[in-house]
Amino acid sequence: MTDQLSTTFAALADPTRRAILARLASGECSVSELAEPFEISMPAVSKHLRVLERAGLIARSREAQWRPCRIEAAPLKQVAEWTEQYRQIWETKFDNLELYLQQLNAKETRHGGQRRGK
Amino acid sequence: MAASGVANSETFTVTTPSDTEIQLTRLFDAPRHLVFEAMSKPEHIKRWWGNLGDGYSVPVCEVDLRVGGKWRFVNRHPKGDAEFYGVYREIAPPERVVFTEIFAPFPDTESVVTALLTEEHGKTRLHATSKYPSKEVRDMVLSTGMEKGAALSYDRLDEVAMALAIN
Repeated sequence: MTDQLSTTFAALADPTRRAILARLASGECSVSELAEPFEISMPAVSKHLRVLERAGLIARSREAQWRPCRIEAAPLKQVAEWTEQYRQIWETKFDNLELYLQQLNAKETRHGGQRRGK
Repeated sequence: MAASGVANSETFTVTTPSDTEIQLTRLFDAPRHLVFEAMSKPEHIKRWWGNLGDGYSVPVCEVDLRVGGKWRFVNRHPKGDAEFYGVYREIAPPERVVFTEIFAPFPDTESVVTALLTEEHGKTRLHATSKYPSKEVRDMVLSTGMEKGAALSYDRLDEVAMALAIN
């Protein structure tokens, strides 16, 4: 059982696939245009595209004969949302720390700065 | 993002300096030695680290602050306990601490955390960089799959284990 997020991460784990997505972020491309910057065969590029397509990270048009690839934002948005949760957890922890430091600082000031911690 | 109303909250950033790292930074309105103390003594750590709301607490917080010394924190949350442990590698008060970190369900996956405190006009900036063994692990952590006892993470543990096995 694999959920969408795990599939997305697995697809993003490869540097060639990330480079392909980066290229597609600036607009639609054909498979041969995508293959150009890489020193790998067309079948290898097609294989990467299949992984990205299965993960829902790209879509391939069925209308034009050259079947251009385009990036799909939804799964990347999901990654961003999860990252946002990580961010929020640490934001909360550090806000707690800030408030706690205010207490410590006030206590230390009251004691004339004697309690030098390590 | 959303203003929490807590001082310096807007200075908090999460970045990914490389494929295998996550860096957290934040400014605190306190002198450096105090921030160092609050981050390294159990009686202080308990007060802020696992305190994420109702049902959250830190029942275990052990710190042997010596090179080679062990640390262990348990974060109790509404759905169970999340245990983290590791070993201190470098200790240079009040500036720098390097330690390893393991999330108990994944004992073979060790990250290395470098916490650096710099002084800025009477305030203190924390730069905490975690380095993971691979991009996959880093991404899992970033997705909270392995992180800090958020209730969510337990729901996702089996999926995370599966994803790690696939990678």
